[in-house]
Order: sequence, then C-alpha cells, then structure tokens
Amino acid sequence: MHAHPGFTAPPLRRALAALVPAAALAAALLCGAVRAQTPTQVPAQIPKVAPITIVINQSPWFSGFSKVVEAYEKETGNKVTLDVNPFAGSAEKQRNSVRAKDGQFDILVMNSAWLAEFYHGGFLTPLNDIDAAFKPDPQVLNYDDTAYWDPKTKSNNAKTGVAYGVPINGNIQVLYYRADLYQNAGLQVPRTWDELVVNAAKLHNPPTVYGMAQRGARSASDISYDWMPYLHSHNGAIFRDEKAGDFTVTINSPEAKKALDVYLELAKKSGPPNPGSYGQAQVIQALVTGKAAHATPVIAAWPQMDDPTKSAVVGKINIAVLPHGASGKTTPTLGHFIGAIPKNIPKERQVAALAFLRWFQTYDAQLKYAQAGQPPIRKDVYDAPFMKTPEYRWTRAVVDSSPNARMMYTVPEGPQIVSVLELRLNQAMIGEKTSADALNTMAAEIHSLMRGAGYKTERLPDLK
Amino acid sequence: MSANAASAGVGDTRRWRFYTLAPALTIYLLLALLPIANLLVMSVHDIRWVEGAAQWTYAGLRHFAELPRDPLFRAGLFNTTLFAALAVTAEMVIGFFLALLVSRIVAGRVVYRTIFLLPILIPGIVIGAIWKLMYNPDFGIINQVLGAVGLNGHDWLGDGTLALASVIVVDIWHWTPFVFLLLLAGLESLPQDVYEAAKMDGASAWSELRYLTFPMMLPTLAVTLVFRLIVSFKVFDEVYLLTGGGPGTATEVVSFTIYRRFFTEDRMGYGSAISVVALFLLTLVIVLCLASSRRRARAA
Repeated sequence: MHAHPGFTAPPLRRALAALVPAAALAAALLCGAVRAQTPTQVPAQIPKVAPITIVINQSPWFSGFSKVVEAYEKETGNKVTLDVNPFAGSAEKQRNSVRAKDGQFDILVMNSAWLAEFYHGGFLTPLNDIDAAFKPDPQVLNYDDTAYWDPKTKSNNAKTGVAYGVPINGNIQVLYYRADLYQNAGLQVPRTWDELVVNAAKLHNPPTVYGMAQRGARSASDISYDWMPYLHSHNGAIFRDEKAGDFTVTINSPEAKKALDVYLELAKKSGPPNPGSYGQAQVIQALVTGKAAHATPVIAAWPQMDDPTKSAVVGKINIAVLPHGASGKTTPTLGHFIGAIPKNIPKERQVAALAFLRWFQTYDAQLKYAQAGQPPIRKDVYDAPFMKTPEYRWTRAVVDSSPNARMMYTVPEGPQIVSVLELRLNQAMIGEKTSADALNTMAAEIHSLMRGAGYKTERLPDLK
Repeated sequence: MSANAASAGVGDTRRWRFYTLAPALTIYLLLALLPIANLLVMSVHDIRWVEGAAQWTYAGLRHFAELPRDPLFRAGLFNTTLFAALAVTAEMVIGFFLALLVSRIVAGRVVYRTIFLLPILIPGIVIGAIWKLMYNPDFGIINQVLGAVGLNGHDWLGDGTLALASVIVVDIWHWTPFVFLLLLAGLESLPQDVYEAAKMDGASAWSELRYLTFPMMLPTLAVTLVFRLIVSFKVFDEVYLLTGGGPGTATEVVSFTIYRRFFTEDRMGYGSAISVVALFLLTLVIVLCLASSRRRARAA
C-alpha cells in the first residue's frame, strides 16, 4: 500500500497534529487490552542481573534506542552502559573485542554489513546456549532470517539454524517523495522504476529542485547499497543462488544491465549535476532543504524530515514502498542491525545481555521505540492506533516492504565485493565506464576474488 | 699511563656507553622495529578467523604480486606521488617566501607570525568540515564569490578533473604554516656578519638571496622538505573527509587504500603488503632527498 500524496495542507496538519496525543492515549489503553489477549505481548519478567555494556554506532536512530535503554534501566533496575562510536569505529571495536581472549562488550549491535564476518568467524553464542528456554518472539520481523545462523550449512536460515540475536533496528530503504509537488502536478506514486523515471523528469526543475537524489558516491557502501534494490527487483543478483551455495557470478546479466541503465538514466535525466559525489548525507540534505523531489534513503533518516529545526519541508514528504522492476516485487536492501552476544564473555554477563534482548523484543519496549520515532521490530506494534496518525505516515511502507527486504551479501568476502561494486558503479555514474563495461569488470573482479577465496565459481560471458 | 691502561679505559667507556644506551635501545626496538617486523610477517600470510580463532596461512609473495593488478593501489600510488610533489613544492615555495618577508619585518612580527600559524592550529577534522562547506557547489562561499563577480561555480570535489587539485589546495593551506615556521627559525639563526660584509661589498638583494641565504639555508630546507614529504606521503584525513577517494579513483591515495583493504575489507595480509611497499618507497625517497641535500651542501 502506498502513502497518501495529498497530506500537505497546513490547517489539516495542525488539526491532525492535535489529535496525536489523544490517539497516543487511546493507543496506550488499547495496548493494555490487546496485551491481555496475546501471550507474546506479556511483559517479560526481567530479573536483577549484572551490568552490561552495549557497543553501538551513532546513527540517526540512536536517540530512539537510548530512550528505550533508559526505560529498561528504570523498569528493571539493571545497569546498561552504551559505548557509542561512529559507524566504522563500532565495527572495528566489535572486531577487536570478539578477537581478544576476553571480550569487552556484552551486546554487539551489528550492522548487516559485518554480520557475515561475525557469523562465519564463529564469534557469537547461540541464545539457547545461554538459556535453553529462550524463544524468539513470533511477532518479531524476520529480516531475511538474519538473526538465525546454521553453522553446518554456514547460512542464515530460520528453519535449519538457531537464533543468535534479536533485530535491534529494522532499517530498510523506502521511497521518499514530495507529496506537495505530486499534488500540484497530479502525479500518482510510482510502482515501477520506469514510472519513477517519468515522474522524476516531470518534477526536475534545476537548480531549484532535482527530480531524483541518489547515493552515487563511492565509499564503504553508498552507490552499491543504493543500486541493489534496482538489481534485485529486475531479477538480477551478484551470484546465481547465494543461499543454495551457487556462487556463479551473474552481476553482468542482461537483467543487471537493465537495472543499471535505469539507475543511470534517473541520474542523467533528473539528478543533480554531480551525482557521483552524493553520499547518504548529501541525499538527506537535498531532501530536507527541498532540493530533491525523490530519493531512496533508509527509513532511519525519517525523523529529520518532519523536524522543523532541520527541515524546510515539514509535512511535505511522504513515504512509499520502493518501486520495482521486472520481478514485480519491491526489494529493499537491509541496512538493519542485529543485537548478538559474543562467546568470549563470562556466563553471568551473557545471561544479563540476554535479559536485555528478551526485554527489548517485548511489545511494551517496541511501543516505546516506535514512540521515539523509530521503526519497531515487531509486526503487531505497527497496528497500534497511534501508528495510523499522520506523524507516523512512514509505517505502512516499512511494514509492507520488510518481508521482501534482502541482504546485500551473506559471505565473509562481502566487504571486498562491495569495494568492487562501489568503484565500478561510481565510474559508470561519472561516465568513466559504460554500464556494460562496468558490469563486465565487476564480474571479472568478483569472480577472481571468489576463486582466490576457494569458492567454486563461474561467470557469465561478457555483455556486448 | 701505560698503553694497556689507556686501552682498558677506552674499553670501559665503550661498555659504559653501551650499558647506558641499552634500555633506550631496547624500548626503541620494542616500539619501532617489532611492529614493522610483525607487518612483514603479516604481509606474507593470509589471516582468517574460524570458530573464533585466527588461522594464518603462508601466502609467500602472492600479495606483493597482486599489487600491480589492484586498481586502487595503482591509482593511489600515482595520486600520492602527484599530491606530494605538487603540494610540497607549493608549500616550500610559499613558506620560504613568507618566512623571508616576515624575517625582514621589524614592527608587528609577532602578529604576522601568529596569523600565518593559525591554520596549523586547527584540528584536521575541523579543516575537513570548513573546506567541505566552502567547496559545496550549492551554497559554498567559493562558488558564491565566483558568482558575485560573474563567473561560473564548479563542483570542486565532485568533478574528477578538479577534485585532487582541490584537496591539494587544502593541504597547502594547512601545512604551509609549518614550513613557514621552520624556515623562519632557520633564517633568524643565520649569521648577520656575513650579510654585513656582503653589503659592504655592494651585493644586491638578489645576490644575497642567491649566494648567501639559499646556500646557508640548504640544511634547514632539506630537513623541512623531508618532514613534509613524509607527512604528505601519509596523507589520509583530508582525503577521507573531503572526497573519500572519489569520484572514481581521482583522489585515491595509498594511505586510504591501506585503510580500505586492511580495515574495511579485513584483509590484514594484503593490507600489510601495501604498507610494506609504501614504507619501502617512502624510505627510498627520504634517503635520496637527504643524499642529494648533503651533496649540494658539500658543493656549496
């Protein structure tokens, strides 16, 4: 379901905003009623446990998480220390901690970018090894099975594997669009990438407004992450069937070429003059300053859109599921976070860490998380009445997209693959390479690095 | 005193020197040489983590053989050399010129010196933020000034043909004060009687500079040049903050490639191999610079 483009009139917004507290109160009352009916929503009984340290990165969603941690401390009397770092710094600290004899951190808040490395490296503890009675809550969203790991097949699989973590933040990409411009131009929310190309071109009015802002820059993960939904929704993929262990490189398939051509067409027809240097920060800046009619950043960026201290377009941006290609299915890329417990800490700290994760997945905790403006990890929280208010107009797109969200990669060589994609996609974006040349080069380089890492792999013939 | 007693005395002195130097030498070996030795060992291994334990596999010279095929290393080496050559040359010329000017000013010298030193006092992260804002194509002050005088603005960091030059400008702005400071100290320590004698002989200002100042400043210039070359070959923060190595590989530098390969991609063996090559090349450049400067000093 798409969000409504018509929600722009200030008087209506004020009226609706006035209804929010009332709706929240009603929600709280309803929550109590619903809790009584559903066993999974019973608040967890958390014992007094040892203090724990959570290592986490400073992201747009961090403030929401810290509020929930404060609530946990208040409710249970347990002590939590947050070790907050820049994104890359958090990965580095976690890596150093799990590789040491004695771990420093009790809960690792791991991004999808380094999940594979930690699972394959054998650094984490199955949650049932800490407490055999622990069960992941069935209401918790699945996020492509990434909280589960099967050590035998070395894959994320909820059926054959066991739980190693609890999702902490359901960060995925969605379509941000200017509802006021849509209303003025009489446009419909695009369902396909081709429709987006048309809409973006219609709203392109440089330098006042660019039709589309993309993360075209080369970094640890910018353009590859931005392009991945185009690839997957055109039935393309880096490998033929990664989950089944078929690592034939298919990044230079005709489907991938179509996906890249659409991506480049958007940049060429409707992008800013320098799309190759636009990273996540520039895309968000273009949205909040009113310079972008569309963009596809992660949902964690949402709180800035309606914040009058940061945004010039408060109430003018709406959210929809990402458009799709030939597959007919929207396929956002996971940029989410999993909270897991390392092997190399004492048992009492593992027990304390699990107590927090057990509490974090409860309905009440997730309700607080949603009230702090963050996407909850439970399906049922999206049904809370206050989530239907205009302030929370992003929720429908997130809950509709989440089941189709996919990992960018599941092999420990992922960061090397991304490095290849970042360089070659960026070169295509700035016109140094054609789409076919960029894809053929990527295929050759990924094939070479996978073969070097000991995988059985082939590659498709070069695109003409 | 007999010859034997004198010889024993020399031996005692040598032993005494050795024993007093030994603690400092041991600390130096531990702090400096062991990490380099560790780097060398890592550079010929593949390191993987299985079941929470590191597995080292001997890789021989495979990582070194891979280097010429690495597009980031190739671009990084070229850009770093270009960056060091252009930035350090400009800094030496501007820094020397400013030092000459300030050394001849009598009134307000402290004020000038303080103003010229300001950029070096600003942390790298702040410099990155300041210049990123100044270079911003939409609202940066540089494009605004160009617009005010009727010229077109540019995307200074997003255009592959301008990006490296833009980063070099930031480096010149940042590091010229360092060159200025060292060279000013050198100029102020030159013997004044030589200049007085030259003046009595009717030497022009240019002759003083060409035949007195420049030859006498050669040792200071050489040390400053080597310092700057070392730091410019290790450039990282300016690239990291301003361009991230892009667009394409336009501003990729060796330190950034090491960071990517070693940390982001977790390829410790391969990252170490790049570090070893970078260390070797930098040492070579420094040795050549110092040898050349000694030859010139002797000739002068």
